[in-house]
Amino acid sequence: MTVTNRSRNSSLVRFVLLPLFFLTVMLLGGLRISAEGHAFIFVAPPLVTLVLAVLLMLLFVRGRLIELKRWLASDRPPLTNISHGWMLLTLFFASAQAFNSVLPERGLLHWLFSFFFLWTLWNNQFSSFDARRLLRSLTVLFGTAFVLKHILLASLYTPDGGWLKKVAGALLQGVSLGTLDAPAFAPATGYISFFTLALYVFGLLLLTFASDDTIDEVVYTDRLALRESVQEKTLSTDYADSRAPRNADAL
Amino acid sequence: MKSKFIQIAGLALTIAYAVFIIWIYATEPRTFKEVANSAEVAAGTYQINQEKFDSGYSLFLREQFRAARDEWQRADPAQGDARTQFYIAYSFYREGWGRVYYDQELFKQGVEAANRAANLASTVKLTVDDPNLQLHTIAELKAELEQGTERSWSDVNPLKVLRTRK
Repeated sequence: MTVTNRSRNSSLVRFVLLPLFFLTVMLLGGLRISAEGHAFIFVAPPLVTLVLAVLLMLLFVRGRLIELKRWLASDRPPLTNISHGWMLLTLFFASAQAFNSVLPERGLLHWLFSFFFLWTLWNNQFSSFDARRLLRSLTVLFGTAFVLKHILLASLYTPDGGWLKKVAGALLQGVSLGTLDAPAFAPATGYISFFTLALYVFGLLLLTFASDDTIDEVVYTDRLALRESVQEKTLSTDYADSRAPRNADAL
Repeated sequence: MKSKFIQIAGLALTIAYAVFIIWIYATEPRTFKEVANSAEVAAGTYQINQEKFDSGYSLFLREQFRAARDEWQRADPAQGDARTQFYIAYSFYREGWGRVYYDQELFKQGVEAANRAANLASTVKLTVDDPNLQLHTIAELKAELEQGTERSWSDVNPLKVLRTRK
């Protein structure tokens, strides 16, 4: 009964919960609230975020957060492979939108942030990672980008002039901030981005457990098959042994 | 068996959710009300506010075109009704029409509204049987607006002052 419940819960996480979480990240990652009128602004993921998402997916595979052989295999039922493939697709787009959420929308800062993300992810490709360390590293990466964009830069571009704007004005006296131009959004944008990133990291955490469960399930099935074959072998040996003395007596 | 059911239900649910997200990004609604209006248009249950439309029409007949457009925009916030968009385009035409010259900015906005109406009426031909109008189809109105935005030698023809507004 415990095994059945465990299998059912694992299926719910892998086939329903994880795709729903990642799709929600996909929806909210590009959502901004305008400072004037508080209207929704949907920002489609820029091309660079797709490149970043590809690098991140490679990192997931290298860090064994996604074990492709466990998720997609020829000996699995087609429906399971399709469901797992779909889940991985939602993870890809959620990753792109998570980057979109913490990237400045335009200007020099957009390219600076993109460059630093690319640099970090490219360097990480050659580091040794396990799933949990990778998750910690990603949390720090997204956390830093969130603080930079939604706290520091938001203060810089706030219409009424935040503390950072005054400091920057004093430091960059005579230098135009035109190249560092970024649109100002309502504070709600920061809250949405925080929720989006939290959901994304939580989804990755669940994915780690789901991967473990998948492995456990495979190991469990193998063990069950092994036990059954041993039992069968033992039974046939016992049967042969029980028959042997009779034959000997008959002789 | 249960796992298979969960898989199929999960796939159906999440694919529907993904379609909704793509639709949201394609239509880019600005408020929750616009989300609801766009959903009504997509579902084919959208209806304009007839009272506001009539109020706009009476303003249109009194040649208060801006006020009329304002009312019609409120009557059709999702810009999903071909007939209302036709009238909006017509109000741009009438306001922008001049005996000596046409207001290019208004005519351009008129073309945009006529295009919206044409897109909405792409499956069924829209004919507005209104005795107060001389142009009854989107194609006629659009052609008139587009002609007004084009520059040609006929613009310097002095006999142009004799033309009439439709």
